[in-house]
Parts: sequence; structure tokens; C-alpha cells
Amino acid sequence: MTDALSIRGLSKTFGGKVAVDDLSLTVRAGELYALLGPNGAGKTTTLRMVAGLLKPNGGDIRVFGHDVLGDPAAAKQIIAWAPDEPMLYDRLTPLEYLEFVAGLWGVEPAVAMPKAEELLRWLGLWDNRGERCEGFSRGMKQKTALAGALIHDPQLLILDEPLTGLDAAVARQVKDLLQERVKGGATVILTTHILEVAERMADRIGIIQHGRLVADGTLDELRARTGEGKATLEDLFLELTGNGEDAALESATA
Amino acid sequence: MIAPAGSTLWLLRHELRLTWRGLMSRAGRGSGRARRIWLTIALPLILLFAAGAPLAFALRRVRGIPSGPIGVVFALAAAAVVVMVFTLMLSQTLSAAVDALYERADLDLLFSSPLKPRRVLTVRFLAVSFTVFAFFGMILTPILLPVAVMGHPAWLAAILVLFCIALAASGVGLFLAAGLFRLIGPRRTRTVGQVLAAVIGAAFFLFGQARNILGGAKSATAYAAIARVARNPHMGDVPGLTWPLRAMLGEPVPLLAALGVGGGVFLLANEVLGARFAADAAAAAGAGAAGRPAKLSGRMRFAPGAFRATLVKELRLIGRDPALIAQVLLRVLYMLPLGFLIVRQAGQGQSFALPGSAAALSFIASQVAGSLAWITISAEDAPDLLSCAPTATRTLRRAKLAAAILPVAIMLAPVILPLIVLAPLAGVAAAFGCAASVAMSAMMNVWWQRPGKRAEFRRRRQASWMVTLAELLLSVLIAAATGLTAAGMVGWALIPAVVALVGVLMLSRSDEKIAQALRTAT
Repeated sequence: MTDALSIRGLSKTFGGKVAVDDLSLTVRAGELYALLGPNGAGKTTTLRMVAGLLKPNGGDIRVFGHDVLGDPAAAKQIIAWAPDEPMLYDRLTPLEYLEFVAGLWGVEPAVAMPKAEELLRWLGLWDNRGERCEGFSRGMKQKTALAGALIHDPQLLILDEPLTGLDAAVARQVKDLLQERVKGGATVILTTHILEVAERMADRIGIIQHGRLVADGTLDELRARTGEGKATLEDLFLELTGNGEDAALESATA
Repeated sequence: MIAPAGSTLWLLRHELRLTWRGLMSRAGRGSGRARRIWLTIALPLILLFAAGAPLAFALRRVRGIPSGPIGVVFALAAAAVVVMVFTLMLSQTLSAAVDALYERADLDLLFSSPLKPRRVLTVRFLAVSFTVFAFFGMILTPILLPVAVMGHPAWLAAILVLFCIALAASGVGLFLAAGLFRLIGPRRTRTVGQVLAAVIGAAFFLFGQARNILGGAKSATAYAAIARVARNPHMGDVPGLTWPLRAMLGEPVPLLAALGVGGGVFLLANEVLGARFAADAAAAAGAGAAGRPAKLSGRMRFAPGAFRATLVKELRLIGRDPALIAQVLLRVLYMLPLGFLIVRQAGQGQSFALPGSAAALSFIASQVAGSLAWITISAEDAPDLLSCAPTATRTLRRAKLAAAILPVAIMLAPVILPLIVLAPLAGVAAAFGCAASVAMSAMMNVWWQRPGKRAEFRRRRQASWMVTLAELLLSVLIAAATGLTAAGMVGWALIPAVVALVGVLMLSRSDEKIAQALRTAT
């Protein structure tokens, strides 16, 4: 089966500062993959390159076999990107926003309209469909953006900190939605600082630091690597990302 | 400390400091410094020597207001200047009053402090008064100083009168904003307020253009009426007619009256509205939080394809941007007399003003298209959404340009279509000139796009002086070519047309270069 995402030797520098350094990772189709790392580790930069928003200095990115750099349109057609700050238009209503996004992804109106209704109802925004987003709470905006990300039924859903700033009810709704998508056969990659979420939801976890992948695998595989049989993800994360403890890092990557 | 913390003076100092820093940051960095020096030193010096000194020399022997019809004319002229300055100031203060209700900035902080809302309002509008006064004062003072030095020191009172007008304009602006808020509610006040501010700003100009709007006979009657008023021997007896002029010339009683009126209107507005202002501002914020009411009569139909979806989205965003509507409307208002003039002349078989009008039409079309193209191209709210979509950049750009050009075409059609029928040469020249200038402005905004925010619309031209200047020069060249063609001088028209074409080609950029510039900018 083709991998959902295959990254080989990816690198990106910003004015001499290395953000991503010869990164290689694979995400299998139909799994929920959590990409973790300290602030500035290169998570968002990596995902932005996958979404086609940044050009890497080197390396290769493939999404379901489509070369993101060589044939970006084909790759973008099956990707959805949802950053932590919702990409919205304050003066559009959710329905108008979904109309626009559906147009961008070439979804036929006959398909997009019922899909929009289904998504807005599911996310509890149907009654707000005629209101402009400018008056929405952060949670409502995040849900509107999520509906936009799902309107074209993406095979690969990439979310950067999707739970930031959400209250418990909305956060639960988003988590349920992501698990539904995975059950439905989609692949989800997310970054989060809430390690409990990654621990409970992710099929596999990647930990990135200084632009390099320091560990990758299921929670049990990560425990096995560090030799901490009953450690929580938080323990593993702190050990793997070092806090200056290079020995633990080296043992994990060995 | 002169002003204890929490006092009106202390708050005013804080407000003025923020206003000053806002003005300075608008001027920009780097090249902005040179502009600041130009504005604060060179411009007043030019006004001083070019206008102030000759005026002082001419008026050095004048003593008081002449009697008879000449005195009445002077008095009427002074009153007219007061009205004109008042309308221009009112346009700004109304806009500021509406903004103060909606743009929260530090209002939440101030209202949550133990300061009285009335004091906050008083200080905010005093700062607005100072700002509008400073603009006009900067123009008036260098002209008036030489006059004062050469024998008329009392005439410096005109500066005080100017401040009184600013105070009155602030008060009336506040009344109007509050009135709109009561009449049409918080949801519509912002748009209507901005539009009204634009209309008020253009009111005096439109009155001056009554001849072009109403037609020769009617306007002649209006001007004749004014002239008759001035010649009427009893006009000199009309109480108060000479007071604005006498106040400007420093007569104590009229000057005190001006201070009374200006200060009175300002204080009355603050007294009456002060307590309600905080509640109105909260209601304005609440209106945003509650969202707009649903307009879901009938089933909504999605636009098919990326081009149409983008076009529809851009047109919706343009139509929902009060500041943009006000700016475009202002230009339409300035174009209105021109449109009337051009169509009337063509209809009457007169042609002497057609070339100039056709040229002006092309120039204004370029300005409006440039504004709209900036909004659609550079002020994209969600650039990442477009970048991660599988749609070609060219498709999106075409849709955005179409959205910028469509309103201009709708605006120009009622002038150009009748013109083509009534005066074919001028009509075709105007049509081609407008099309060329609109295309040029739109493409300049594509080639030299700089990502910005919608809120920065009024400051968009500060992004690049070089491009702004080039766009202006090219607009002038195309306008010249349009005018010369409309006058039948097609051969001569080729010169500015070719120069403009060369300029456009020199300024064009490939997609790769645009992308590279955007990467650097972001």
C-alpha cells in the first residue's frame, strides 16, 4: 500500500538558520500520526512544506505517491491544511466560506452544497450559517476552518495545533471528528503540545528536535527504545528531547 | 507633575502621544523620515514664501473690512470658507467618531479603569479636534504669519477660529454618529457613517460643481442669486453676516462668540452623549459578537469552479468593506460633475471641454481600479488558503482582477456609453483610455503587490513610493493620450501613449519575480 506521506532528506533554512535538517519520515495511509517537538523544533515548517506553502532547500516529499514539488496541484488536491490560526474571511458567512473553498478545490456545487450542510450541522454551526465569521468565538472559527478543510474529502488531513484555544466541548468535538475521519480511511497528521491527546489518539508518534526526527513509532515502540516500560508520553518526550541529556537522545536515534 | 495621573490633561497628553506616534508610523520607516522632514519643514516654508509673503505684501495697507458691496463679498467669502472647512473637518470627525465606537483599541482598558467614561470621551474627541486642527493649521499658519508680521498681528485670531471650527466639527460629528447609532442600529452605523463622512467631505465640492450637475441655466440662477445677495445694499445690515470675518481678523466680541459656539457645541455633545458613549461602544462590540443576521431566503447556490467562486468571494468582500466603499464613493462623487458635464456637452454638440473631461475620466478610473486591485490582490485575508489550494495562481489572479475591474466598469458605463452615441470620437477615446488606465493600475498592483491588511487600505500607497509615483505618472500619460485623442489629435496622442507603454513594459514583472518578491516580503 502506498504511504500517505513520504519525506526524504528534507531541509529548510531561513537566512542561514536551519529549521529542518535532512528530515526523513513516513506516515502510513489510514493512521493518525502525531508530530511532536519543542517550540521551534521545525514541526510547522515541515508541515507547511508538505502543504506546498514553503519550498524546501532540498529533499523529496510525496503524498500518496504524488510529488509535492514536481506536481503540486495533484498533491494539493488530496491534502487539507488547517493551521492553528484559522484561514478565514471575517466578512464571509460559514456557508459562503465553504462555497469559496469548494470552488478552490473544484468540488461540484451539487456535491459541495449537501456536504457543506452536513459538515455545518455536524459541527453545530448550521444555525450560524448566515452570520459573518467576524462575530464568532475562536472555537466557532476553528470549526468553520475545519469544515473548510473537509469539504473536499481530503485523503490527508494536516492540522497544526488544532486544539489550541478551544474549550473542552469543542476540543472533544474536534477529536471525535478526527477519529471519525481516520475510521473512514483518511490519514491525519497533527501537531500538538497537549501530549495526553497524542498519547490517547495517535497510532504513531514522531518526535522532532532541531529539525531532525529523534524518535518515531507507536507509544510502545518509543517506550522500548528508551527502556522505560511504563513511562507516559510526557516522560518519553522529555527524555527524548533531552533537556540537554544527549545520551538519551542518542540511544533513541541509535 | 503638571498633570496628575488620571486627570483630563494627563489623559489628553497620553492620547496626543499615541496620535502623534500613529501619524509617524504611518509615515513609515527609512524613506518615511525624508517625507516627515518634507511635511514638517519644507511644505510650510513653501507655503510661507509662495503664498504667505505675497499675500502679506498685498494686504499690508488694508485696514479693517471695506464698507459697501466689497465688504459684503469679503464677509460672504469668509463665511463660505468657514462652511467649507467645517464640512471637511466634519467628514474627518464623523469618521473618527464612528471608528471610536467600533475600533476598540484601548477603549476596553480605559472603560475598565476608574476613569469616568465622559472624561475618556472628552479627551478622545479633544485629540480628534487637535488632529484635524493640526492639519488645517499647518496650511494656514505659514500663510498667516507673514501677514501678521507685516502689520496685522490680530489676524492670527484666524488660527483660533480654526480651532473653534475643529471643536464644533468634533461635537457635530459625535452627535451624528450617536444619532445614526440610534436611528439605524450598531450593525449599519459603521457603513452608513463612513459613507456619510465621504459625502459630507465632498459636499462643498459638489456645491461648487452645481453648474455641471444642474446644467447651465439652473446653476446660473444659483450663482446669480449669490451675486444678487452680495449687491443687495441691505446685506450689510444682516446681523452676524460679518462675524466670521471679524472673528478671523481678531475683533474680541466675534472671536469670543466663535469660541463660545465651538466650545459650546463640543461641551454639549460631551455632556449629552458622554454617559451613553460607553454603552454604545459596548453595543457595537456586542453587535459584532452576535454576528450578522442570516439572509437565507431561498436556497443558496454555490458558484461552480475556482474562478467564479473567487470572483463572488471578492465582490462580497468589497461590498462589505465600509472604509473601501466610502473611499470609492468619494471618487465617484468627484466624478459625478465630470460625468454630467461630459454627457451634457456631448448632447449639446459642444466639444471644447470634452477632451479634458475624457482625460480626467481616465485618470479617476485608474485611481479607483488601483484601490480595488490593491484590496483584491494585496489585502488577501487568507493567503495560505489560496497557496495550499490546487488552483492555478493565474486563475485566482484573473478572478481577483475581474472583481476589481467590474465595479469600475459599472461605474463608468453610464458616462461612456451615452458619450459613444453622442460624440463617437470622444466616447471611443474615453473608453480606450479608461480601459488602458484601469488595466495599467490593475497590473501594477499585480506586479508590485505587497501583502497588507484591509485595515491598511488608507495607507496602501506608503508601501512603495516608487510604484505609487510610477502609477501616477502612467495614469497622467494615459489621460493625456486620451484627451489628445478625444480632441482629434491622434498623432500627438501617440507620444504619451508610447511613453506610457514603454513605462508599463519596464515595470512589468514575471510570475517568478513576483513570487520571489513576495517570499522576501513575507
